[in-house]
Amino acid sequence: MAESTIDITENALGEKNPTAGNIQRFLTFVSDNINFGVSTDYIIEIISNHMICPLPMVPDYIKGIINLRGQTIPIIDIRLRMGKMPQEYIDTTCIIILDVNDISVGIVVDSVTQVQDIDVDKISPIPLENRQELTSSMIAREDGSVILFLDCEELVRQ
Amino acid sequence: MDASMEGLLETYLFETNSLLDGLDELLINAEKIGDFSEDDVNEIFRSMHTIKGSSAMLEFNFLMEIAHHIEDLFFYIRENGIDSLDQAHKSELFNLMFKSTDKLRSEIEKVENNEPLETNIDSFVAEINGLLDKISGKVSDSPEDKAPEKASAGTESVPLNPDDAPHYIHVFFEDGCGMENLRAFMIVNALQERELEFIYYPNDIDSNPDSAEKIIEQGFYLGFRTADAREQAVRAIDQAQNIRSYETGERVEEPAEPEPEQQPASPAETAPAAANTAAAAPKAKSEAPAAKKKEAAPHGAVKQDLISVNLSKLDALMALVGEIVITESMVTSSPDLQGLSLDNFNKSARQLRKLTDDLQDISMSLRMVSVSGVFQKMNRIVRDMKQNLNRDVRLTIIGENTEVDKTIVDSIGDPLMHIVRNAIDHGIEENVQDRIAAGKDPQGEVILSAAHTGSEVIISVEDDGRGMDTDAILAKAARNGLLTKPESDYSQKEILSLLMMPGFSTNTEVTEYSGRGVGLDVVKKNVEAVGGIVSITSELGKGSCTTLKIPLTLAIADGMEISVGKSIFTIPISNIRQSFKATEEDIILDPSGHEMVRCMDEFYPVVRIGELYNIPDSCTKINDGILMWVEASDKSYCLFVDKLIGEHQVVVKPLPPYLQQFHIKDSGISGCSILGDGNITIILDVAHVYAAAQGIY
Repeated sequence: MAESTIDITENALGEKNPTAGNIQRFLTFVSDNINFGVSTDYIIEIISNHMICPLPMVPDYIKGIINLRGQTIPIIDIRLRMGKMPQEYIDTTCIIILDVNDISVGIVVDSVTQVQDIDVDKISPIPLENRQELTSSMIAREDGSVILFLDCEELVRQ
Repeated sequence: MDASMEGLLETYLFETNSLLDGLDELLINAEKIGDFSEDDVNEIFRSMHTIKGSSAMLEFNFLMEIAHHIEDLFFYIRENGIDSLDQAHKSELFNLMFKSTDKLRSEIEKVENNEPLETNIDSFVAEINGLLDKISGKVSDSPEDKAPEKASAGTESVPLNPDDAPHYIHVFFEDGCGMENLRAFMIVNALQERELEFIYYPNDIDSNPDSAEKIIEQGFYLGFRTADAREQAVRAIDQAQNIRSYETGERVEEPAEPEPEQQPASPAETAPAAANTAAAAPKAKSEAPAAKKKEAAPHGAVKQDLISVNLSKLDALMALVGEIVITESMVTSSPDLQGLSLDNFNKSARQLRKLTDDLQDISMSLRMVSVSGVFQKMNRIVRDMKQNLNRDVRLTIIGENTEVDKTIVDSIGDPLMHIVRNAIDHGIEENVQDRIAAGKDPQGEVILSAAHTGSEVIISVEDDGRGMDTDAILAKAARNGLLTKPESDYSQKEILSLLMMPGFSTNTEVTEYSGRGVGLDVVKKNVEAVGGIVSITSELGKGSCTTLKIPLTLAIADGMEISVGKSIFTIPISNIRQSFKATEEDIILDPSGHEMVRCMDEFYPVVRIGELYNIPDSCTKINDGILMWVEASDKSYCLFVDKLIGEHQVVVKPLPPYLQQFHIKDSGISGCSILGDGNITIILDVAHVYAAAQGIY
């Protein structure tokens, strides 16, 4: 059971520390070369190299369940959930354990980037009619890159 | 404050529910004899008094009023003796009591569900009072009789009388602790439990919320006859909460301050003539509880040994113990230890294993409760049906002390109710003449029994009625289009299992109790949900028997671990009949390519787990793997797996709720368990695996 937590260095990386505005912390991660953000309120922990027990007869994005200190947690591969091509799991592949309204799920992502303070008021909806259902809003960073926010509630919607 | 209220409410619900259960049982038994014994009357009186008091404390007025009026009614009965009632009144009294316990119960349910309580009680109260009037109408002095009764029911104390209780305690509650009257009432209750004789002031604490004000201003007086009793009371008060201070003393004269409030009580005191009637009742009353307490003493002693624990705490304990068992085997079979000879370690490890096993046994036994509660409820159902359907039936209960897991007890209540109703409504002959003609006892009998057999509990409901007409069942099934093969191919067992198909009911008429087309199929579903099996046997003209076989506990199961590819599955041992090797030649194919294999001269379909679940690297050649003959309810087939790993006890965990949306249960997975090495094994549900296989092929 190789179970290691990845240290996340908390920094505001070039973000100004605005006195006004509604600041929240977000964890950013990469999946298929897209930057995603998820509110740290949902995050329990990040693990890697965990043994996943596959389940039969479920959609392909459900990779199976893991045993996290006696709790069984279902694992969703974000790539597959968004209809992208699967990728071999390597060292940087992580599982982010989320707790959304008391439902625990783990999501498999390509790599975790950092924790960032983001002004929620500056987040804007994605202006696409046929957007991916799991991402509803976005923000542009100062360096020009864009973070899409993962809609956790949508992710666990029954 | 809120937390303590919640605790109070929880205690209240528990206490009231158990009182109502006790009352129900008492009523059933009393009705069988057709009479209330003196003990019964006292018991009902006492229960109602407690319900009244605690309901008033929590301000559930409806409950309080009903309990109050029943208390009045039984006060009258107690005073005049049950023999003063004639038979008609008694049966009316029984019906009223059943109705009232039902009413109380439904209100309690509302409290539990946080629904608003009924407020219109007049008609119900009128009914109770009507009966009281009817009963007491036979006695000429009813108006005088009712007055002291009312007075005494409202309060349980004689007016403060210095001669009677010279030793007093003056209690002050903490400032702003709230609900002083209720806290005082709790002290009164605590003292009553200690069987002390005492009086208190203000004496309307359980019915008058304004008394809280009085207590805040003047404190709460308790008076005792002897200094000894007072000492005991002081000890009880020491344990009570929110008490700022108390002082003890001996009273030579009535303290001056409470005088004004005492006005209403004092006339009774000063006028001996009037006191004759008024004092008689309270005196009788204070004696009666004392006598009753003595009788109830053995009960009290038993009760003291029990505590009630929230089920979720037990669940948490079970989960923890499960973890410990797993962790223990993780430690003792750690790969780091391989190849080392560690005598002392092994010794300690064995000791640890023994202790964890004991711990597991004990924590399992904590969850075991006897089925008597559920069985006793059936008494009530039989009684009601007897009255309404006019059939003479008796219920015999065997083995009600059999213990099963609490979750299972909770889940068999409804199924049992259905089965018992069915047995009476469909089983027992409508016409007594039919029974006599068949040479049977005119009174029908339904036997409800429970027994342990190893890892299962068997609950059966047997009736000596007309039995089931297999031809009629078959014809009805054919009409409803439930048959899947020619009628002549059905065996007796198969025909009876048709009864449990959805939408089957042999009674063409719908009655109040059964025949709504939901029944046995729901029973089957509920019982299967807790891992049990329902079977029906019947002989025409002699009766039928419905049997539930239910595992003792849901949390831990014996399982056979098997591997398919890299996945590990666990199959419950109870489903496995046999495992054996087979060769390609043993496999027979039907025209569409379905595989079958022969065991014990019969052919069974083969389900390949690897193929069904699409597991990579699983065996494809029959010779390489192993066949396992499994059986669940009415299905029997062979599973093809790669390897047997061994038998294990597994702690069953439900699958994460998120996965329910994928109907994972339908694909044959009932849960999962964590292995000693931290990996997960999936527990298969044999019946559903077959259903899933049918869906795919």
